Amino acid sequence: MSDPKSGAGTSQTKAPAKDPKKKDEKKEEDLSEEDLALKQQLELYVERVQDPDPRLQKVALESMRQEIRTSTSSMTSVPKPLKFLRPHYGTLKAFYETMPESDLKKYLADILSVLALTMSAEGERESLKYRLLGSEGDIGSWGHEYVRNLAGEIAQEYMKRQSEEAPIEDLMELVQQIVAFHMKHNAEPEAVDLLMEVEDLDLLVEHVDSTNFKRTCLYLKSSARYLPGPDDMLHLDIGYTIYLKFEEFAYALQIALSLDNMQHVRQVFTSCDDMLRKKQFCYILARHGITFELDDEMVADDDDREALQDIINNTKLSESYLTLARDIEVMEPKSPEDIYKAHLLDGRASAGASVDSARQNLAATFVNAFVNAGFGQDKLMTAPADPLSGGSSGNWLFKNKEHGKISAAASLGMILLWDVDSGLAQIDKYFHSNDNHVIAGALLGVGIVNCGVKNDCDPALALLSEYIGKEDSSIRIGAILGLGIAYAGAQSEQIRSSLTPILSDAKAPLDVIAFTAISLGLVFVGSCNEEVAQAIILALMERSESEFGEPLTRLLPLGLGLLYLGKQESVEATAEVSKTFNEKKRKYCDITLLSCAYAGTGNVLKVQNLLVHCAQHLEKGETHQGPAVLGIAMVAMAEELGLEMSIRSLEHLLQYGEQNIRRAVPLALGLLCISNPKVNVMDTLSRLSHDTDSEVAMAAVISLGLIGAGTNNARIAGMLRNLSSYYYKDASLLFCVRIAQGLVHLGKGLLTLNPYHSDHVLLSPTALAGLVTMLHACLDMKAIILGKYHYVLYFLVLAMQPRMLMTVDENLKPLSVPVRVGQAVDVVGQAGRPKTITGFQTHSTPVLLAAGDRAELATEKYIPLSPILEGHVILKENPEYREDS
Amino acid sequence: MLTVSVKWQKEVFKAVEIDTSQPPYVFKCQLYDLTGVPPERQKIMVKGGLLKDDADWSTVGVKQGQKLMMMGTADEIVKAPEKGPVFMEDLPEEEQVVSLGHSAGLFNLGNTCYMNSTVQCLHSVPELKSALTKYSHSVRSNDLDQTSHMLTVATRDLFNELDKSVKPVAPMQFWMVLRKKYPQFGQLHNGVFMQQDAEECWTQLLYTLSQSLRSPGSSENLDAVKDLFGIELASSIHCQESGEESSETESVYSLKCHISQEVNHLHEGLKHGLKSELEKASPALGRSATYLKESRINGLPRYLTIQFVRFFWKRESNQKAKILRKVDYPLELDVYDLCSDELHKQLEGPRQLLRDEEGKKLGLKANEKSRSSKDDDFKMTDAEGFIKCNWRIIWDYISRRDSR
Repeated sequence: MSDPKSGAGTSQTKAPAKDPKKKDEKKEEDLSEEDLALKQQLELYVERVQDPDPRLQKVALESMRQEIRTSTSSMTSVPKPLKFLRPHYGTLKAFYETMPESDLKKYLADILSVLALTMSAEGERESLKYRLLGSEGDIGSWGHEYVRNLAGEIAQEYMKRQSEEAPIEDLMELVQQIVAFHMKHNAEPEAVDLLMEVEDLDLLVEHVDSTNFKRTCLYLKSSARYLPGPDDMLHLDIGYTIYLKFEEFAYALQIALSLDNMQHVRQVFTSCDDMLRKKQFCYILARHGITFELDDEMVADDDDREALQDIINNTKLSESYLTLARDIEVMEPKSPEDIYKAHLLDGRASAGASVDSARQNLAATFVNAFVNAGFGQDKLMTAPADPLSGGSSGNWLFKNKEHGKISAAASLGMILLWDVDSGLAQIDKYFHSNDNHVIAGALLGVGIVNCGVKNDCDPALALLSEYIGKEDSSIRIGAILGLGIAYAGAQSEQIRSSLTPILSDAKAPLDVIAFTAISLGLVFVGSCNEEVAQAIILALMERSESEFGEPLTRLLPLGLGLLYLGKQESVEATAEVSKTFNEKKRKYCDITLLSCAYAGTGNVLKVQNLLVHCAQHLEKGETHQGPAVLGIAMVAMAEELGLEMSIRSLEHLLQYGEQNIRRAVPLALGLLCISNPKVNVMDTLSRLSHDTDSEVAMAAVISLGLIGAGTNNARIAGMLRNLSSYYYKDASLLFCVRIAQGLVHLGKGLLTLNPYHSDHVLLSPTALAGLVTMLHACLDMKAIILGKYHYVLYFLVLAMQPRMLMTVDENLKPLSVPVRVGQAVDVVGQAGRPKTITGFQTHSTPVLLAAGDRAELATEKYIPLSPILEGHVILKENPEYREDS
Repeated sequence: MLTVSVKWQKEVFKAVEIDTSQPPYVFKCQLYDLTGVPPERQKIMVKGGLLKDDADWSTVGVKQGQKLMMMGTADEIVKAPEKGPVFMEDLPEEEQVVSLGHSAGLFNLGNTCYMNSTVQCLHSVPELKSALTKYSHSVRSNDLDQTSHMLTVATRDLFNELDKSVKPVAPMQFWMVLRKKYPQFGQLHNGVFMQQDAEECWTQLLYTLSQSLRSPGSSENLDAVKDLFGIELASSIHCQESGEESSETESVYSLKCHISQEVNHLHEGLKHGLKSELEKASPALGRSATYLKESRINGLPRYLTIQFVRFFWKRESNQKAKILRKVDYPLELDVYDLCSDELHKQLEGPRQLLRDEEGKKLGLKANEKSRSSKDDDFKMTDAEGFIKCNWRIIWDYISRRDSR
């Protein structure tokens, strides 16, 4: 018998002809001798198969089978034996029908099944048909291509049988075999795809082993993003089960958090009995920013539990942040002038005004707060009093006018962010001021200091509750916002009971009610809490037509929306209620609820839905298009592809949309690329920052700040500097430019506003809520940000997190190790152990991570307890490590 | 008797005893001893609420060994300064102008950018402003025609208006008067006013002002405008054919920067501009001949005006064409080498001083020669006045012209 491979060179180049017969005649002469021999041999087998003698039949079938199996041709061409058997497919099929039931018949069925791989007409699924009729032997022996083809046919057959409600047992039998085969041969994605088609993913769990579960889960996780519900949940659930099975708890926790399933989180804690790993879980929970109480089932020992709870409560966050700052040597406080860098501009703009401008001082207050956020020292608020001026340390405070003092006093909270003990001590003196604005600011400051940090004594709650019922509305707002920021995501009943009565208080002014709704929305973010929802709906119903036109009223539907942030269908019952409103009000509420409920899901249908709203030309002065544009960004920000697509769609809206849409587009871009200065978006925003419509320009300027937030991006900084001289006459735009400059240098470049963390997989609900609130407020820049509610800018504090990798040892003390930091590479579905980062540089920890960066340890000496090197990572000594000699 | 631990700022006081029979005020006094914070400034957090001075310990529910948190400082309470800062936003409009550091803009009334830029340039010359303020409204000298008087008055009023407001000004009155005086600016094209040359406007306006601002009576210093803008030129005229030579002096209001193929820099253009050929009747030859005229600056004004001659008459098509060649200019222009020998002598002293002064700034040793300081100051300003020539105005003029 000749080796089919040897003749491959001569005939493979031929293009396959449509009509096999015609071709055969022509080819007869071209065939090499070996091929000819093989062809004749096979023809002989075909004849023999039809021989009445079962023994001859058997020998022929065996030989034929042998031929097919040994032909290992490349994937791109049809193997020789198959090719030569093609003309006889019909004959064999016809003969098969005449054969009596026997083993031989099954044998022939097997061969027909393989032949059908190339012969069967589209949609006939003959390969599958004969496979089912065949001997059910080892499926892999026919080769990979055969299995793949079979899998495809199974999927089709399954659909057909589902619609006919026919039994599927035989199919499932085959699926089992195929999945086992795929999983053994590094084809996890194919196995997952097949199981997805036959809707039986659970089967996967038995087939994964320690060699392939990682790739399997990676594929499950990333495909989940593109699946409609509830399939995506199912995928993640299976992934979770597999991770638990192989004790990859950190990944399991990650999935549990992305499912927002607290039961799963509990299970991770109870399944793991390594204290150190549990500490690592706590760090992940802390970064996610949710409130989570450990109980004795999860951690038995009281002291241990307290230590773990401390990590979740972020009590040491300030400390690590300062360690990072010291390591990078940026402790020196910066003044707003250091950020403006006016000396780099030519002549006229730098000529400082001799008189204080309240607006520019307010801008300086914000810049100072953003830049020195969390450092505990600055040059305006905490600097020791100047002995020459003889005043107290409130010098800068009183350089702000009226409501400006609220933001000024609150900025102290931002500077002392996360450091509750010294923060409260420094803010305390402002409580005794006789100026209501200062007290309001101090209250807000208390809330900001406590943002993301939980304390056993609940000082924020104790202090702020005292002031909720005060007469002065700015004090009330200060206390209410403080509670909202300090307890975002806490779902505290106590706060609910103290805040909900304000909503129904007929005497309360509109701004107090609006901020109460937002605070409740923040505290109960994503909780679907019925009672809070009812209270806000009632407050919405009571608003008169004219009140609904007020700029701040937009916060009421938003507060309601935050309750359902990312909760998808759960919002539907509440959305029904809005049917009772008049059209204008209803549309606004509907869009806000929809965009919040699907925020961070990447749901393409909802994006389309929102785009439809944006395409309409409105004549009755409706205002719902602004939230719709923001909604596109909120939904699409979940994954890279959708994000790129929506950037394109927004570009179209800019071209064709009306003014209220154009005003929202820059903000949407800002949300999509938050703390991620993509060059194309930067250019778009830079163009819009010179728009003739000043509100478009303002939004673009603020968004330039948002996309560059905490990056110190030199290009954006340069753009903003030029804008500051361009707009030196326009106080409002200059204010926006200043805010943006402050944002770009947020935390001197150590902070990020991105609500996504852990490899862009987890979305922190509180962070997103903070961003969305701020952006909704920006929809009416003139009335809110440039009016007297500028302190809504402090909502950004909810999203502020150090963009660091801090490695700690087993006692949670900082440990410096070399790490490689580079651009993350998508390795989903790739075989082997591909490189996960590219263009890396080696640093030693603590180190800053930019958007899209990924880190990996550059030493074998330690084993990280979290597979994702972000935030705090505990390192364990590698017992197998040997020092290189 | 309970013992609790109290956390205050970063300190923890362990085992503080509470006498539950006494009101919490007593407990606060205990803490006063420990921390120095007066009881009325203490805030003690108990289970999400504040401890009241007169609360009952049994209802507060403090447990043995519980951690309490106290907030409060003995710091001085922040007081608003007696005299708060004055904010720009609160100032009346006139005062805002001063603090803004720039003056108001002008509305474009339809292709009037040439006029607006001219007015803005002249507006930034303080000497001209003060000369205009002195100009009286009612009295008109006999040798001045009515329209010139009106234009001068309109200029004065417009300058006043610009000084007073922060918002853009519409120069309606001025424009009307300008059109009346110089009807060519009122030309219409397709029903709208035509684009005009700013240089023309500048020249005409300066001419009018120089006429009207002549101080009557006194013979010296009679022309304020000439004093500010006039450039004394000394020219020698030379005829190559006959070898005749003559010289003359004249006074002009601007230097011309001719732009030809070779000119890349303002300085080269100016040199070109000071050389010209003219044809006139030669008495020696008895016919008209080509004369070469070379001019040098004999006297510099406070403000030197330079015209970039960008318009050029195309003979072939009988059209005006614009020369788009890029000509560089320095931020500080030195015209020393364009000056006459006479002026060189005058300038040498002050220039040396200026150089010494700059050397001092750079840390070099000052020239040994000592002069009296009074003399010094005078000459310094003199020199700077000559050389720097308020570069900004011309700069503005050029940039506006070019952006059109």
